[in-house]
Amino acid sequence: MRNYCLLLFLIFIGGSIQAQESAMNSTEITSFKEKVIATAKTTKTINTDFLQYKHLDFLADDVKTSGTMVFKAPNLVKWEYTNPYQYSVIFKEDQLLINDGGTKSKVDIGNSKLFKKLNQLIVNSVKGNMFNDADFTVSFFKSSKYNKAVFIPKDKKIAGYIASFELLFNKNDAQVYEVKMVEPSQDFTRIIFSNRTLNSPINDSVFSN
Amino acid sequence: MIRFLVISLLACSILVSCSLKTTEGLRQVHFNKSDVENPYFSNSEIDYVYKAKIAVYGKNFGGILIIKKTGPESHRVVFTTEFGSKLFDFQFEGNTFTKNFVVEDLDKKFIINILKDDFMLLVNESATVLAVYQSNNERVYKTQSDERFNFYFLEDTSEKLEKIVNTSKTKEKVEIDFTSSEENIAETIAIKHNNIKLEIDLKKFKE
Repeated sequence: MRNYCLLLFLIFIGGSIQAQESAMNSTEITSFKEKVIATAKTTKTINTDFLQYKHLDFLADDVKTSGTMVFKAPNLVKWEYTNPYQYSVIFKEDQLLINDGGTKSKVDIGNSKLFKKLNQLIVNSVKGNMFNDADFTVSFFKSSKYNKAVFIPKDKKIAGYIASFELLFNKNDAQVYEVKMVEPSQDFTRIIFSNRTLNSPINDSVFSN
Repeated sequence: MIRFLVISLLACSILVSCSLKTTEGLRQVHFNKSDVENPYFSNSEIDYVYKAKIAVYGKNFGGILIIKKTGPESHRVVFTTEFGSKLFDFQFEGNTFTKNFVVEDLDKKFIINILKDDFMLLVNESATVLAVYQSNNERVYKTQSDERFNFYFLEDTSEKLEKIVNTSKTKEKVEIDFTSSEENIAETIAIKHNNIKLEIDLKKFKE
């Protein structure tokens, strides 16, 4: 009897999860895209905390790291991890500027097409504006809490690293609040943003090592 | 003249073969155990997560190293970037090594072999003792590893594993240094190579 109840409960929960998220229709997609693009256009700077979960199927707990992310239009990004270690990486033109707990290094990404693509992906996902990217097949979903865009890479090389890329947007302000990168093995990385400040002045010196 | 040459050659080869500095100045003592243990990755309930810094021929890069005991004789060793993308995913099961995933840039035979040997040595839990040496405050256990040897340095009173040195007959090849505060948890690990410029520094995540 107890098992039967549990089964019913699971079916009910399963059903309700299914019902929570549904695919957008074409008018919804158009209006959602317009809203995100309009928001991205008016977003000059972003300053936000983030919490990152790395999920590996064999671990008891996800690996948690956290820090702050700063973005300045058109394409300056700094990720700074502060917990449990100090590590920052700045995406600047064709370079990555890394400060690994005091050890500084530079990586040229000018020659690497894959890295350029990943960089572009990061900048665009922070802004949310990547729907016209010819390298991905995009599908759209909605729920009462969020809108979701799922990107599946067409390029085989990228597909070897990323099975899909999901962006979750707030319903009200069309800002990205969660990024999820799913690997071909189904292990994934989730980054959740919080305490976001938009369009406050950010000095360029933030983006130097 | 020929006799002199032969003797000097013999003397040289004997001197060279005796010149392994790992056990220099140590006296050999009687066995007090048949196996020596590395307890640092032996609890299957713990996710062992480390911040890694790697210096290779003057280049630095970092990431996260995750080790998990997944069976009585098996370990998973996964290395990711700080952003979480996997760089490699290895599985060790007894003496069987499986490459689950490696990014293209790292997928070179000589790199994989170095990483395989380093991490196999790091996670190997137990080895049969061939000889035992004693210093002022450490007991040193010699074990066989294919054509090579491993020397396990255990602190005298606490019996904490402080160092593993992998050697050929005459030369030290790899050294792993541990510091551990808590029982059986390695807080920092330094893997140093003597024949190539490669150093891997690991620091345990704080909860």
